[in-house]
Amino acid sequence: MKKIFISIIFLCTISFPQENNSSAINLFSPINTKKFADYLFCQHDYLRAIEEYNRYLLGTSSDSIKFRIAIAYSKMGDYKQSIDEFMEVPEKSQLSPLAKLEIMKSLFQSGNFNELRNYFNLKISNNNFNEKKEAKSLYNFSFLFTNDSLPTEHNFYNAFHSDDLNKIKKFYNWKKDPPEKKSLTAGILSAIIPGAGKIYTNQFWDGLWAFITSVGFTYLSYDNFHAGHYFRGWLFGGLAVGFYAGNVYGSAASAQIYNAKIHFDFVNDLKDFLESHNYFIPVINFCK
Amino acid sequence: MTKAKVNIFIFCLFFLTEANLNAQNYLTKQFDYAKKLFNNEQYFDAITEFKRLLFFDEEGTYKFEANRFIGLSYKEGAKFSDAIFYFTLAEMNAKNDDELFESKMDIIRSNILRRTTSHAIELLDLLETDKRFSQRIKEIYYWKGWAYLFSDKWDDAANYFSQTDSNKTLSTFCKEVDKNKYSSSVAELLSIFIPGSGQIYTGHYLSGLLSLSWNLLWGYVTINAFIANRVFDGLAVGNFLWLRFYNGNLQNAKNFAEEENLKIVNQALNYLQFGYNGTKP
Amino acid sequence: MKLFIIILLLPVINIFAQSDWIKWGKADYSYQIKNNFQHRDYSLNKKNYERFLLKSFADGYWLLISDVDGDNCSFNPTCSNFFLQSVEKTNIVQGSLMFFDRFTRDMDIFGKVGHYPRVSDGHFYDPPSLYLMNQDSIKYLPHSFVLKDE
Repeated sequence: MKKIFISIIFLCTISFPQENNSSAINLFSPINTKKFADYLFCQHDYLRAIEEYNRYLLGTSSDSIKFRIAIAYSKMGDYKQSIDEFMEVPEKSQLSPLAKLEIMKSLFQSGNFNELRNYFNLKISNNNFNEKKEAKSLYNFSFLFTNDSLPTEHNFYNAFHSDDLNKIKKFYNWKKDPPEKKSLTAGILSAIIPGAGKIYTNQFWDGLWAFITSVGFTYLSYDNFHAGHYFRGWLFGGLAVGFYAGNVYGSAASAQIYNAKIHFDFVNDLKDFLESHNYFIPVINFCK
Repeated sequence: MTKAKVNIFIFCLFFLTEANLNAQNYLTKQFDYAKKLFNNEQYFDAITEFKRLLFFDEEGTYKFEANRFIGLSYKEGAKFSDAIFYFTLAEMNAKNDDELFESKMDIIRSNILRRTTSHAIELLDLLETDKRFSQRIKEIYYWKGWAYLFSDKWDDAANYFSQTDSNKTLSTFCKEVDKNKYSSSVAELLSIFIPGSGQIYTGHYLSGLLSLSWNLLWGYVTINAFIANRVFDGLAVGNFLWLRFYNGNLQNAKNFAEEENLKIVNQALNYLQFGYNGTKP
Repeated sequence: MKLFIIILLLPVINIFAQSDWIKWGKADYSYQIKNNFQHRDYSLNKKNYERFLLKSFADGYWLLISDVDGDNCSFNPTCSNFFLQSVEKTNIVQGSLMFFDRFTRDMDIFGKVGHYPRVSDGHFYDPPSLYLMNQDSIKYLPHSFVLKDE
């Protein structure tokens, strides 16, 4: 009996601390809030994670949590907010260099290339900054997305490691001398041979049809004039002129569309390349 | 055992049970809180709280309920794919046949609203052959009616509704809609023989008359050209004009019938959503 | 079996989380089917003489011919609409040149697939903004792109 009694007393002593441990029962305690926020963050449920992290920050201060909030905004594509949040990470924090790189990444992803360069010049290039090479990579890449004059080859390449240099050289050379088609050339070609300008801009079938319509209606016009059908002659002649002139115009326009296409493809390839390299900044995995 | 010892024994027992009850209470409280948000139509926040419940419910006591309510919340936000995902999780955690049936029905109803009705019908077919749910066959037929109705198969819907006792009104309604609809094949067939007549059948008189006039004109010119041995003219007018307007006549007959049917169907669906008082998807 | 389904569903969770990246409320869901049938805009602008004259011709063409001879234009906007929009954006001469070029491209039955993006109803998307001779007005879309509504 004595043994049973002692056992019960022992069990009571175990159960009391559990019951009094509020963190195990209060789901909204700071520790539990953070645990739940971390879970949501790793589930990519970023908006909810931000709400929970903000609730957690009401009672405490944490650079790491501020950083996560900023990352969450960045992942959701809200770059303006993510930049504001990264700015909240204090200079003296260990995460400050990473936050700066992330600010550059957000500026890059939101297409604010001029702001990115200003930020780099102001906050990074002249300061004692260990991750300067990573920052310089993004700074250099920004020139491939704008029409501003490119840095010299030496200046451009020295920001990168040798592994990716070949690919990066291709991007640089493309930007330096894009394989564009000239509207004037396309127009002149179509003026000489109807449809030739379209073929020059890689539109073979359009070019062929343009040739058929221009030549076809010219022949019909000639044939009708020859046979004394003057009304039909003028009608087909007018159409021939219309199709011919329309084709010259269309060929010049087609060159512009061709150029828009190759630039579109170039930007997409570049974005894919940067995505696959996390914009040349270190990857932090919070969800191991 | 002395009286004092007995008292201490009872005291300890009380605290032991109380401690366990408290452990359960915080989950119950959380469930009630999340459900309150759901009832207040704060669906986004309700999902957060149900997720919190699931995260801390280590023993999985609320796995069925919480997942189901998350699904229902998404459904209220018309996010049917998300809803189906959580209903599936609820189904996997169903504790008995009733819960299993409920979650399967939730999945089916979301599929109906998402208009993936063929999948809803497949699932209903499986339920129909499941002996565990033979007592609920009328319910299955009722939702089959809705699935067919959302598939624009009003006649099939009427058949299934007629097999459920209480819903003869729905059956009659569906039959009526089916009767009011135009047959696009009849419209096309009419226009094949008399151009424009299919359009007139669907109430588009001006278009029908214009179509008839163009076809008569170009038909006359084409035939006349062939009679006068002007084969090239006949071929050109016949191909580029008569055939063009004849094809346009067939296209219009079909399109007008489909457009008129859409108006009839939308009117019916509008009534079912806002005028009908029975259970809806 | 359950574990297998959970493993299958895991990647889906991440995709679903995206639908909660913006706070949402109760949806105004309708049982009705969206009406995608296109209707012409026959309205006339009496203030602009040139536009009024041009639109009157277009209205007449649509009412008497285009609406009755079937869906023959594989483009969106249709050739007549393209012409009207081109003249509106430029002038009658440039608009006519754009129209003749468009008409030639419409006749090309081989070169359209793999060149133009599509609208949800299957027509090829080819707006006048691509042909204004202004590089900045070109919003290039790849041929794999499908526009929701135009």
